[in-house]
Amino acid sequence: MNVKVKAFALFREVMEKETELTLLESATISDLLADLALRYPGFWDMAFETPGVLKKFVNILHNGRNIEFLQSLDTPLADGDLIALFPPMGGG
Amino acid sequence: MRRRILTTASSNERFLRQIPLIGEEGQERLARAKICIAGAGGLGSTIATYLAAAGVGSFRIIDNDIIEESNLNRQILYRIGDCGERKVDIATRAIRDLNPDATVEPVCSFIDAMTVNHLLTGADLVLDGMDNYPARYHLNRACLNLRIPYLHGAVNGFYGQATSVIPGETACLRCIIPRPPDKGKVPIIGVTCGVIGSIQATEAIKHITGSHAALAGRLLIWNGVQGDVDSIPTLRSPDCSDCKRYNPMDEKEEI
Repeated sequence: MNVKVKAFALFREVMEKETELTLLESATISDLLADLALRYPGFWDMAFETPGVLKKFVNILHNGRNIEFLQSLDTPLADGDLIALFPPMGGG
Repeated sequence: MRRRILTTASSNERFLRQIPLIGEEGQERLARAKICIAGAGGLGSTIATYLAAAGVGSFRIIDNDIIEESNLNRQILYRIGDCGERKVDIATRAIRDLNPDATVEPVCSFIDAMTVNHLLTGADLVLDGMDNYPARYHLNRACLNLRIPYLHGAVNGFYGQATSVIPGETACLRCIIPRPPDKGKVPIIGVTCGVIGSIQATEAIKHITGSHAALAGRLLIWNGVQGDVDSIPTLRSPDCSDCKRYNPMDEKEEI
């Protein structure tokens, strides 16, 4: 299946604005992130605290829903999904 | 002192160039609007300036800080001689200088669970100029409960974000961002506050004048490093703790 990843703000320092990925049919968000880490040096260090634990600021939307409200890193993907990675801004 | 001639908002010469955009009815709606600006910092300064200039009639401006010299790179309501003064007092003066017809209510208060409902009651719109997520989540939740549209904005360095939360219709702030960044001072430059505050003010003007708030159900992210802006659709999460508390059938729900 094919999914599209959009990267925002800080993530643009290590990856393209949009990335099209071809993944196995059973792939999850976790698999997608592993794929991005292979493709983009620096991505893993930016996103992960330790293996399997995202840094606190990393927010991921799966078709508009935050994965915190889905199955987190185990959220299953489907063909045509849109994934957004962003670090929320906090200042004002 | 020159006396101003009382006129209706739409016949005021100050607004001649924008009435072709929003119409006389739109201008009157701006004059009747009651907005609340939560935070009179970098975002709040931009929002207050443009909405005062556009002819918004009533402002409640909430902040509990004193102006410091380190604010002046971005908080464009203030001047060097204002240091040491309360932000809400100088902001009030600046808004009235731009639009003498405006009513301004300065509120020097901290925004927390105890105060937030009272602080927002009566507002048609709430604009987010806060610098931390605990306060933003209080605003988000109170706006859901009070059914007030909440126009969110936030900045960090050359990056910024904005979205418009319409209670009962769109994702709320916590649906979109359940994982806030760590507390603490972030680098901020005035131009980013200008971009994001202007986007929030644009959303306010469109909402008040009856056209669609374009960022309802979308998160916009500005990237000033690469000169790029993009947005993504957002959806309500049924398990969001703030949205879950919001029940459109229960008009008397308390936070």
